Amino acid sequence: MIRVEGLRKGFRTRTGRIQAVDGVSFAAADGQITGLLGPNGAGKTTILRMLYTLMSPDAGRVLVDGLDAAIEPTRVREHLGVLPDARGIYKRLTARENIAYFGALQGLDARLIAERTERLVSALDMRDFIDRRAEGFSQGQRTKTAIARALVHAPRNVLLDEPTNGLDVMTTRSLRAFLLEQRAEGRCVLLSSHIMQEVALLCDRIVVIAHGRIVADGTSGELREATGCANLEDAFVKAIGSDEGLFA
Amino acid sequence: MRALWIVLRKELLDAFRDRRMLLVAFVVIPLAIPLVLAGTNALSARKQTRQLEGPLQLPVIGAERAPNLVAWLQSHNVQVLPAPRDADAAVRTQECDVVLRIDEQYGEDWRAGRPASVEVIFDSSRPLASGATVSRLGGLLDGYGSTVGTLRLVARGIHPAVANPLQVGTRDVATPEARFDLSQQILPYLLLLLAFIGGMQLAIDATAGERERQSLEPLLATPVSRESIIGAKILATAVFSLLSIAVTLIAYRLVFAIVPSRGMDASFDLGPAGLVQLFLIILPIVLLGATVLTALAAFARSYREAQAYLPLLMFLPMIPSLVLMVAPVRTQLWMLAVPFLSQNQMILRVLRSEEIRALDWVVSLGASFAVVAVVWFIAARLYHREQLATSS
Repeated sequence: MIRVEGLRKGFRTRTGRIQAVDGVSFAAADGQITGLLGPNGAGKTTILRMLYTLMSPDAGRVLVDGLDAAIEPTRVREHLGVLPDARGIYKRLTARENIAYFGALQGLDARLIAERTERLVSALDMRDFIDRRAEGFSQGQRTKTAIARALVHAPRNVLLDEPTNGLDVMTTRSLRAFLLEQRAEGRCVLLSSHIMQEVALLCDRIVVIAHGRIVADGTSGELREATGCANLEDAFVKAIGSDEGLFA
Repeated sequence: MRALWIVLRKELLDAFRDRRMLLVAFVVIPLAIPLVLAGTNALSARKQTRQLEGPLQLPVIGAERAPNLVAWLQSHNVQVLPAPRDADAAVRTQECDVVLRIDEQYGEDWRAGRPASVEVIFDSSRPLASGATVSRLGGLLDGYGSTVGTLRLVARGIHPAVANPLQVGTRDVATPEARFDLSQQILPYLLLLLAFIGGMQLAIDATAGERERQSLEPLLATPVSRESIIGAKILATAVFSLLSIAVTLIAYRLVFAIVPSRGMDASFDLGPAGLVQLFLIILPIVLLGATVLTALAAFARSYREAQAYLPLLMFLPMIPSLVLMVAPVRTQLWMLAVPFLSQNQMILRVLRSEEIRALDWVVSLGASFAVVAVVWFIAARLYHREQLATSS
């Protein structure tokens, strides 16, 4: 369960101040997949970075399973499994060693790591490259390894920043199946994407973000209804294109 | 602590799988340093032997004017050569180390019992190249002069001691090890340089490189504290360079067991105790280097930017050696509190087999470790910056 209340974050740049996140509040429930949908530069990555305590918000609160990220950042990170925008893996380590490293950092013992790795290997179909060094991995193999290491401690909450970026159709499909499994296990899954179709297919709830603000929040049906558009794409365009923001 | 150990183990595993890094740290450096030292040593020994004991090649202008002097020189292992056309130019261009000119009036003056002049033409700005030859020639000429002078006194019935009111004797108190040669002056600098920036590849790879390969952000998203992460990276760098230094010191000992420093008293023969002392002396510098490099790599925006600072760092261990070269001073206790200067002095003491008091150890290690602690603290602060993981 993730709750975000009145989140704000600005950056100083050479040309002036940019308000990347401007008063964002939403909740992502357990047993649901929540999608942060927005165009590039809308502030999705910044929101996620504040969730996993890489950045601290200028104002507002982040609560993960009731823990305040500003007060207990370490425990919050224990409750999260994160696939960040940056998903580099260690090239001189095998996929299995990459996963085991993060398992150890999460405080798991070797036996538990081996057991979890085995489950992730079959769920993500990593059998043919699990014991190869990551040098020369394809984008899909790298992403799968990064997801497996992020989830090796079986976190209650799963954060994924643009998880299908650069993946082919087959890998995307297997990833989708994997996320639905996570949902079925009762986890809170929060993913960001700029691809509307993907969010529509996968997410129980969609939070539409533009210019650092939430412009729409609901199921895909609710979004279509509220905007009066027959398909979600039109609804999306209408939502982010409006000056005032339809639901803000 | 547990997290620190996990990160440390992973960084070392990562480093030990990097063939290029291993090659440099455990083959190239351990071979290069002793070989360079042994090479310069052998070269300078050979040169000294040649200059002091080999036949002295001496172009003489007007050799025919002083046949007795020339014959005496020849009997003292001097090979008299015809003079070059322009003696000054020949010396200046290093064609000859030294030229002897016998004055046109020599024969006349000699027969009249007046001081006869000879002139030694040399270049004082090249003391290393020709200094030994020049002083050898000076010694020979003095010897000839005083021999003839003594004979003249005796011929006039005067005791030769009359002309020598003062007898000057010298006694060299240097221990055999302390009469060290050129390469031994280079050794402290090389050791300090190796200690200071020997771990640079690992440090930059583990911090700036990790960020550039985009694996830092996932790492920071784990519950591990940033203090543990940076501590582990510093320690991994230090462990790696200590291993490299240990291999280098062992290689150094082996090389000098095979290639003894001939012709000189200097003893490179450091026993195991000496090697352990050297290791202990440079330990704080290894940690200081690891910390500075890690802080730098955390501060730099990219791998390339981090590497751009390296020449600056290479200069740092050089400063005390340069200062001591220009203004040699007596060792005082405060010097042992200054990093680099302290290690330089301590290394020299080990090489010269001088006594190191317990107080010296305490001051040298204590002060340097205190500096390490300060830089470590700064590095940890840098690692808390928000831009660390995100700016790339």
